[in-house]
Order: sequence, then C-alpha cells, then structure tokens
Amino acid sequence: MKNVTLKQDDTSLVVGLAGRIDSNNAAEVESEIQQVLGGAGKGPLVIDAEELEYISSAGLRVILHLRKSHQELSIINVKPEVYEVLDMTGFTEMMPVKKAYRRVSIEGCEVIGKGANGTLYRIDKDNVVKVYNNADALEDIQHEREVARLALVLGIPTAISYDVVRVGDSYGSVFELLNARSFSSMIQEEPDKLDWCIHEYVDFLKKIHDTRVKEGALPDMRDTAIGWAKFMKDYLPEEAGSKLLGLFEAVPVDLHMIHGDYHTKNLELQNDEVLLIDMDTLAVGNRIFELGSMYNAFIGFSEVDHEVVKRFQGFDFETSKTFWHKALELYLGTTNADKIREVEDKARIVGYTRMIRRSIRRKGLETEQGRKEIEHWKKELLELIDKYDTLLFSVNELVVEAKKENLQNVIDFVDEHLEKTECPMKAEMQIDMAVEEIFVNIASYAYAHEDNIGKAVIRVETLEDPLRVVLTFMDNGMPYDPLAKEDPDVTLGADEREIGGLGIFLVKNTMDDVTYEYKDGRNILTIRKNL
Amino acid sequence: MKIKKSQNDSRLIIALEGRLDTLTAPQLEAELNASLDVISELEFDFKDLEYISSAGLRVLLSAHKAMAKKDGMKVINVREEVMEVFELTGFSDILTIE
Repeated sequence: MKNVTLKQDDTSLVVGLAGRIDSNNAAEVESEIQQVLGGAGKGPLVIDAEELEYISSAGLRVILHLRKSHQELSIINVKPEVYEVLDMTGFTEMMPVKKAYRRVSIEGCEVIGKGANGTLYRIDKDNVVKVYNNADALEDIQHEREVARLALVLGIPTAISYDVVRVGDSYGSVFELLNARSFSSMIQEEPDKLDWCIHEYVDFLKKIHDTRVKEGALPDMRDTAIGWAKFMKDYLPEEAGSKLLGLFEAVPVDLHMIHGDYHTKNLELQNDEVLLIDMDTLAVGNRIFELGSMYNAFIGFSEVDHEVVKRFQGFDFETSKTFWHKALELYLGTTNADKIREVEDKARIVGYTRMIRRSIRRKGLETEQGRKEIEHWKKELLELIDKYDTLLFSVNELVVEAKKENLQNVIDFVDEHLEKTECPMKAEMQIDMAVEEIFVNIASYAYAHEDNIGKAVIRVETLEDPLRVVLTFMDNGMPYDPLAKEDPDVTLGADEREIGGLGIFLVKNTMDDVTYEYKDGRNILTIRKNL
Repeated sequence: MKIKKSQNDSRLIIALEGRLDTLTAPQLEAELNASLDVISELEFDFKDLEYISSAGLRVLLSAHKAMAKKDGMKVINVREEVMEVFELTGFSDILTIE
C-alpha cells in the first residue's frame, strides 16, 4: 500500500497519508513526502489523514520535520484512534487537527423539520440528524451547540447534539430524540388535542420570553431586524421606508430570550416533557420579533397560497389560523379583539418585512409566484406602516380611535383587568362610569378641530398595598384640563341646572384621586380607585 | 338596554332594563321625543336599570323639565347603584323618586 499521495485543493497543498507509519517505514515515508512535494516551497500544507490507520512516535517525528519547512501545517480527517495519539502527544495543541466525521445516510429518512438553516431527518427510532444547507457549516454547528447548551443551563428543555457527521457533501449534527413527536404531527393526527397543544405551546413560549440572558451571550435580534428594515428601503416608497426603519430602531434593546423560529415543528413531546429544538436562531430581543416570525410560520407564508402551511406543517390553513389566534389570545392573556388585532398587526409589520426581504434575496422577483407574494405582502405592509407609530405593545394598554363607538371595547378591556383582581361589583361599576365619562369626553372634544380622528390610549394598572386600580387616559388632541372646570352646583333645582359638567364631577366624587397633566404633546388624565 | 313602554290614556310608563349610558341614551331620547307631546304624566320604572352615567342623567333632566310644565314625572324602584349616582349629583333632590 502506498503511504503518500499528493492532492491539491484551491488554497493549499494536500498530502494524503495512509496505512501505518512507524519506525519500520518512517524514513521511507519522509523521503516520499519530499519527493511528491518536489520544489513546492514553504506554503500552507494540509495532511489528509482519512486513510491513516496508525502512527507511532517515529511517524510523529516526520510530521514535526514537515512543520519546520511548512509552518502553516494542519491535519484533517483524523480517525478516532489516530486522534487519540495526536491528542495525547500534544499535537492537537501545536497545529489544527480536525477529526474525521462519521458518515450518515439520509436516504429514505422521514423529514421531521425544516428550518432556515437546515433540514431535520429522523435516522432511526431514537436519533435525528440536522443537515445544514450551508456546505461549510461547522461554525454554524458549533454555534447551535453552544446556544443550545446555554438555553439548557437557563432552564429551557432542549436537545443538544452529541455528534457531528458528514451527510453527502454537507455536515450534520446528531441529536437523541427518544419517542418524540412534534406538535405539528400531534395536531395533524389528533385534532382533539389542539387546545392542549396551544396551552403547552404558549406556556413554553412564556418560559422562553421570561428568560434573561447575559449581555453578549446570544445574538441581538434587534440588530438583525434593523438590517431587514434597511434592506427594505430600496423596495418601498421613501417615506414608508424611513418610517419602517424608525419603527425598528425605536424598539429598545431587550435581553430576554427569543427562539426566532417558534412553530409547532420545533416543539417536541418526549416522554411527557416538552422540548424545544432547532436552536440556531436563538437570540435576545423584544417579543414582537418572535411574534413576527410566528405569524409568518402560521399565516404569512401561506397568505397567497394556503397550501404552503399544509406542506410545511401537515395541518391545513384553517387549523393554522385557529392555532395562531388562540395562542396569541392566551399569550396576551386577553380576549379583547382590539388589543389582539393591534399586536397581530405589529407582528405582521415585522413578519412582512422579513418575508419580503427573504423572498427577494432568494430571487423571488424572478418568478411569477414570488412577485405575486411580494406584491401582496408589500401592500399589507404599507397599510400597516401607515397605521402604527410603534412596534411596542403592552397588554394593559389599549389604543383605539377616539370615537364613541369604541366605548364598549374600552369598558370591556378595563373590566377584563378588573375581574382578574376580584374587584368588588360596586367599585367596578364606578370605575366603568369614570371610564365612560372620560373616554366620551376625549371622543367628543380632543380631536374636534382636526380632520382625522386621533387615538386614545387607555392603560390599566393594578397595584398592591393598598390594593388599587390606576387608569391612565392619553390623547394627542388639543390641550384640555377637564379638572379646571368648576364643579356644577348640585344643590340647584332643575331649572337652574346646566346640562354639562356632571360627568367629570361624578368621576371626581367616586374615584380616590384624579390628576391631569399635559406632557410631550399629550393630555394625560390619571384616576385611582382604592379597592 | 331594553325599553318597555306602556301607556294609560295620557300617562306613559317606561321600564328600562340594562345600562343607560352614552351608547343607549340617544335611544331613550328618541323614544321620549316621539311621546312627550302627547302625554301629560311620565313614570320611569328602574327596577331593572343597573347603571346610569351622565349621558343618562342628561336625558332624565330634560324629560323632567319638559314634564314639569305638565303633570310631572316620577321615578320608581330605583336600585342602590343608580340611587348613589342620583344622590351624588343632587338628582335625588330634583327628581320625584318613590
């Protein structure tokens, strides 16, 4: 058997070593190497050890000699037995030494997931392999391993890969997934489990979003998202493009964890434990970025062609829509339709931005289907950019158009919060009245001199010690202090009575505190009721 | 809000059920505008009225003023929650409450 062969790749000389190299043939191997290298100079040299079975100290000395003439020397495709020798003798610290990877075939294997960076195959009952799209994926694999480990340490159940393998010309990482089933297949096969799946899905999501991560330990989604918005500037009218970028830039830095690709194929049930997989998109950031990618997975990608979700998740578009809406409702802890729509709209702004960029980069503008989708997403996006001034949301804050027709929504929103605090009936009624009087005031006067109906913001807070409810009403209308008006004289008879002023009077007399300020162009009226 | 009307010659009885607020007050106002000219006596039954806001008070006040020139208006079966609003605003002194 020939021990030495000369190979060459684009950037360096490659010498293949094979068989056994020990004191019997070391001198011979060394001169063969010199021979094949000829006058090749002192450039980088790679030793391909794919077929090297054994190397003794005499063989190692040959490598040391080589290193004198080729300082950039590395060894690749090292078998485990040989690697052990190199590791023990300290060679792994002297020069880059890369192990050989086990080969795994995915022929005929079930695809159990498909993410942004790779595809997941089940290779046997207990193992799955994630095959990366990028041919040079070792760094990605290393990254995913590190972030999965980080997540696990922070209390997020996940599967960590235990081996890196070769799959065709790509790399793969192998995970153990014993008897695991994805939420997608559960939903598809057992529709009566849908509600259970939604609950588990939302509980897990909250756990992720409640996890704080050390600064710098995970990529910042905000930076990534700002990058999308910058990309979009070339594809949107100037004003809309700038506003979109402004919306993204105004999202504050947030060190809470987000998964980045949180859909039902990436959640697995294994022996009654829920596991999160496909961790390569793990990041920190505001939860609106998560909701944006969730919207895409359940609805966005399938808006033009409803079959997309069926192909990807296995369940139909209707089921997907139901899942998304119920999950969002549960996640936000509200059934208020306006609140849910607001958050969904903001998620869509993030979602459309991401999808349009993704599609354009994947040459979507060159196909009819791609152009149709991009046009549709863009139209929706432009409407939303026009409608919102922030991507932030708060579940205890409702933003509505300041018109009387929205009164019932506002009262329902407030009552939903009051019911969580076991507010006494009487106090609830008085608070309802205060909400009505103040909101109707805003609806009637704040924007009376403007062509467009402006917004009113209602915030509900419940505070302890003593238990109290604080409601804040904000509008951008003309400055007006309703408290400045003198109280009506309630001792007057019917004939002398004026018709106005009673509303605010009632508020003042049923609440424990009412204050007004005009700040940053906003009327801010705050009322407090002790419970 | 539900409005139930029963008329006895020139005496109109209106029973309200639910909430008399900004959204429902215009409904009551419209009913009254259609009836006040042809009646001389008005009675409100508030047995099932759970809530009243200033918008409701306004309608009651103008009805009260209109009826004051005739045989009057009275309110019966007022619940505690609504009574408190009447008391706070001095309406308990203006209206005839039984």
